[in-house]
Amino acid sequence: MSAGERDVEAEVATASIGREGRRAALALFRELVAPYKWLVAGMVVTLLCDIVGMLYIPTELAALVNTAIAARDADALAGHGVSMLVAAVVGSGGCIASYYLASKFAANVGRDLRVRVYQKSLELAHSDFEQFGTGSMITRTLSDANVVQQMLLMGFIMMGPVPVTCVVAILLAFGVDPVMGRLLVAVTLVILVIFGLAVWRSAPIFVMLQSFIDRMNVRLREYITGVRVIRAFGRESRERERLDSTFESYADRAIRVNLVFSTCDCATFFLMNVVESTILWVGADRVGAHAMQIGSISALIEYAMLIMFFMMMAQFAILQMPRGLACLSRAAQVLSATPVILDPEVPAELPSGDDVPAEVARFDHVSFRFGDADEDTLHNLDFALRRGEVTAVIGNTGSGKSTIAKMLLRFHDATGGRLLFLGRDVRDVSQHELRDRISYVPQRAWLFSGTIAQNLRDGDTKATDERLWHALDVAQASFVHELPDGLDARVSQGGTNFSGGQRQRLAIARALVRKADLYVFDDSFSALDFKTDAALRHALSGELEGAATLLIAQRVSTIRGADQIVVLDEGRLAGVGKHDELVRTCPTYRAIVESQQMEGGEADGE
Amino acid sequence: MASDERDKAAALRKAPDGIEGERVGAAPADGGAEGDSEVPSDAMGTARRLWESARGIRWRLVVSAIATVLYVAFSLAAPAYSAYVVDLVWRNVQESFAQGRDYVVTMENGGRQILTFFSLWTVSWAFYSVQSFVMSSFAERLNLRLRGLISAKLGRLPLSYYDRHQPGDTISRATNDLDKVSEVLQRGVMQLIISAVTLVGAVVMMARYSVVLTLVFCCFAAASALLTKVVAARTLSIASRRQEALGTLTGKVEEAYSGRAVIKAFGREGDSLDDIRACSEDLARTSAQADFVTNAISPAIRFLTRLCQVVVGLMAGSMLIAGRLSVGVFQAFFQYVTQATEPLTQLSLTVNMLQGALAAAERVFALLDEDEVEPDPAEPELPASPVRGRVAFEHVRFGYSPDRPLMRDVSFVAEPGQKVAIVGATGAGKTTLVNLLMRFYEVDGGRITIDGVDTRRMARSDLRAQFGMVLQDSWLFEGTIEQNIAYGRPGATHDEVVAAAKAAHVDFFVHTLPKGYQTMLSNEAEEISQGQRQLLTIARAMLVDPAILILDEATSSVDTRTEQAIVHAMETAMEGRTSFVIAHRLSTIVDADLILVMDHGTIVEQGSHAQLLAAGGAYAELYQSQFA
Repeated sequence: MSAGERDVEAEVATASIGREGRRAALALFRELVAPYKWLVAGMVVTLLCDIVGMLYIPTELAALVNTAIAARDADALAGHGVSMLVAAVVGSGGCIASYYLASKFAANVGRDLRVRVYQKSLELAHSDFEQFGTGSMITRTLSDANVVQQMLLMGFIMMGPVPVTCVVAILLAFGVDPVMGRLLVAVTLVILVIFGLAVWRSAPIFVMLQSFIDRMNVRLREYITGVRVIRAFGRESRERERLDSTFESYADRAIRVNLVFSTCDCATFFLMNVVESTILWVGADRVGAHAMQIGSISALIEYAMLIMFFMMMAQFAILQMPRGLACLSRAAQVLSATPVILDPEVPAELPSGDDVPAEVARFDHVSFRFGDADEDTLHNLDFALRRGEVTAVIGNTGSGKSTIAKMLLRFHDATGGRLLFLGRDVRDVSQHELRDRISYVPQRAWLFSGTIAQNLRDGDTKATDERLWHALDVAQASFVHELPDGLDARVSQGGTNFSGGQRQRLAIARALVRKADLYVFDDSFSALDFKTDAALRHALSGELEGAATLLIAQRVSTIRGADQIVVLDEGRLAGVGKHDELVRTCPTYRAIVESQQMEGGEADGE
Repeated sequence: MASDERDKAAALRKAPDGIEGERVGAAPADGGAEGDSEVPSDAMGTARRLWESARGIRWRLVVSAIATVLYVAFSLAAPAYSAYVVDLVWRNVQESFAQGRDYVVTMENGGRQILTFFSLWTVSWAFYSVQSFVMSSFAERLNLRLRGLISAKLGRLPLSYYDRHQPGDTISRATNDLDKVSEVLQRGVMQLIISAVTLVGAVVMMARYSVVLTLVFCCFAAASALLTKVVAARTLSIASRRQEALGTLTGKVEEAYSGRAVIKAFGREGDSLDDIRACSEDLARTSAQADFVTNAISPAIRFLTRLCQVVVGLMAGSMLIAGRLSVGVFQAFFQYVTQATEPLTQLSLTVNMLQGALAAAERVFALLDEDEVEPDPAEPELPASPVRGRVAFEHVRFGYSPDRPLMRDVSFVAEPGQKVAIVGATGAGKTTLVNLLMRFYEVDGGRITIDGVDTRRMARSDLRAQFGMVLQDSWLFEGTIEQNIAYGRPGATHDEVVAAAKAAHVDFFVHTLPKGYQTMLSNEAEEISQGQRQLLTIARAMLVDPAILILDEATSSVDTRTEQAIVHAMETAMEGRTSFVIAHRLSTIVDADLILVMDHGTIVEQGSHAQLLAAGGAYAELYQSQFA
């Protein structure tokens, strides 16, 4: 076994859901099914019709043969014909109806699961969500729900008939002859044991096979997206070996699964032969003893075959169940996650109107550390954002600039000190009310598919077209004027039909549409050229007079006019003050300025 | 009735139709192959090529085809023999009854025949088992072989292939398409034989007993074949509507998750939830329909079969009364009816499956037939060691497609240890230069030399070993941070890795991670920002310590101060070595020995910062526009 394979085995072991996961999955399953009691009842009733009808046909056919040879009565034949017809209609009708109900049931449960996971995702805080990761959350919301949906449907179609068929067939057999009834009970028990063993043996390999398929996909994607790096570092043969070993382990497992299946198939086939011959032998004896009639032998054989057939289907469906359960438990993980950021039970009100203090927000010795990191990302920050003032934050990549913005929005909570907004600890107000008072431009401008107007109205649903145009003009997004559809121009997912700079300006306009106490620009100017940057800052200064502004930036030119500059160095406050002051007193700031001064004479003013 | 269920149950194993749907959701971006036409353009040719590829394991296919025919033959004979057994038993029973005593099965009066019946089935079973076991590894072995060819091919495909194709397209050829092929080879081919032989055989056997009843059966058979066709067409259209709904929902969810911060910041949770709910509702509706129609086919067909049974039963019953049919034959006839019904629906499905598999195989072969890079020269040259790093472009001509030449006559020289900067607007073709240097693409004319040796006369691996490269999109593979940094030098010690990380200013960040250098990364690693990913790839390049360094916009997500520090560290490390730097910000390259200004894929100016400013050309303009 190669090292790579061992990796995978280990992963599979940790990926199997364990008892806790199974319990959570089953609890979620009960919750999901609960609203559909009547639908499920309908499914059971129609399934019953299906099976009874199905088994009644060979029963009546046997009766027909028996009458034909015993009574030689053509009218009685017709009677059996009619019974068979009824059985066919009830059986097939029941089957089709049960499939209809089951499809609806499964689809509804799938929908509920998707909506619930999505709803939960909205409640989760940033760090909760990142624990799962966007990719994994998408999988949990969409394909996991699909798997669960298919599991329910297949489970019903393939496993539902087993108990019903066993019970009804055995009852019918007892009706023919008690000895044959007992024979059928014995046959059923033997099959049950054999199939149970088969499932028990093959389920783990089957689950593993699935993970090997995923593995092939991951490895191939890695190879293809990294082909330049692979070639640059001359690691082609190593990557090829990695791929080949993944392919080999998959083939190996797949062949093993096939062998288990072949063994199962052949065993079942053989069992069928034994059962058929036994029923023929014992049946003939019973006919000879006047206990039953000759025509019933074929009915009994048919009962046995149907029991075996449905069990075989069930066996297949059972193999799919672990996957379905794993998906359910993954969804359950999301649903049971407790957001690290919760609204207080009795939220405090933020002051409004004339009570609003001049100090909009204050970082009161705030520290922040990510979940299990061993160093603070932000350490002992202490400064205030005041109405009518522009506060700028500058620092290296990874110095925690964006975290400051996210803390104001309460995407993260301080792990030390406290953050006040309008005089209240942000943890004492509801997230919704807090965010209602802040307008935010994210680092990565993200727009939603729809129109420009729809995107801008995310800032304020009631904004008039004039407000939208005004915001666009301030944001230097005059290009919208030139679009044929203006405000109604289409925006594709993520806003990818606009350039990075255009997207950024639209995101700024969206923020300006909202009237807020605090405007946060998280590195929103770096995608703009210097000229637009300057024009935008100029236009903004008049616009945001009544509010506090937080400007996170990389370029000194963007922030040098700020009323207050906060300099961060590896998460610590390296200095707070105006540009000129900091150039004199703060070495970190001076270093930043000097590093950028080479970019032409921009330090001489714009 | 027995063998019918045997086939059905076995068929289930390999065709979990309902469960197929989930793949779609898992890889929405990779739709490529799914949408392709499912009809092979050259069915015979592809089949022949598959046959060729199966060299060495073909005997398995032959053996199992023979075994399959024999298996079907015996399972067709069994009901006929059972008719004889039942009639014999019935005669014996009647004789015993006439003599006023009970009938007991013994070896002499029926028992031997029952055992013969059992043996008949056992022989059939034996052939089935041979087929099943011989085939169990055939398809996967063939697949493994083809996958091996693909992994070898991936190493020989030119970069232009990767630039032209979506990753998902290639991946699905190596996984989904080959799985389709193996699924069909495993079951489909044998199923085709089984269906065809069974159908013909059963009808012939039926006709031997009663032509009239056989004709009745044929009428119903035609009706169910028709029904299958009609429903199948409808299934397709409903399935595509489900697909559409799933696509819409997938798009919405992806978008919402990517834009989560915006949704929360603007308090739009309610609207977003309504949106997702509406899309989910739509998906639930269409998928309930699609699932229903797909699954309802078989009970519908079964209903027709049952009607057929009623009609045949009544007719055969009266024939039984009239003495024109025996009990055994009556029952045997019914077994043939069920035996023959199954292949009817199976046949059309199997043919579709075969077509789909051949189309899939064709896509795989198309990948294997893609043009490859020229092989390395038989006797590759090498620059004299130690490599000094003098890089020269001599009258280089190049274009990504022959009809759109980009570089017409480009020449420049980078002396050993010089810093060469490449500037130009986005899309000016800065990466083209890297593509040519690393021989990701070949020049159309002229030559590129390293220490005077034409790079085309060197082995690619020797050439690339001279370069350390940090690319635009920072690729990390699934493994620990340490393994990622050591990618170019697998033997590096932990201390060397840490030293490289420190030099790349990423050591601090790695320490904030819970598991430090042992943190597992994946290529979609979300826990790491773009800037930090770039720093990691810089550390990776620094560890290799090559003669020539390429920095392809490596610093675009890193702020100026970090960038300065890195460049500084790089320059120390690259003392006496040649480096090519492509940067957004001119601030990092004003001190370069040579600046190459690119526009529309070619070099329009070259010289030092001062020379170029003085020239007042494209560079001067670019510089003014950035810093005006």
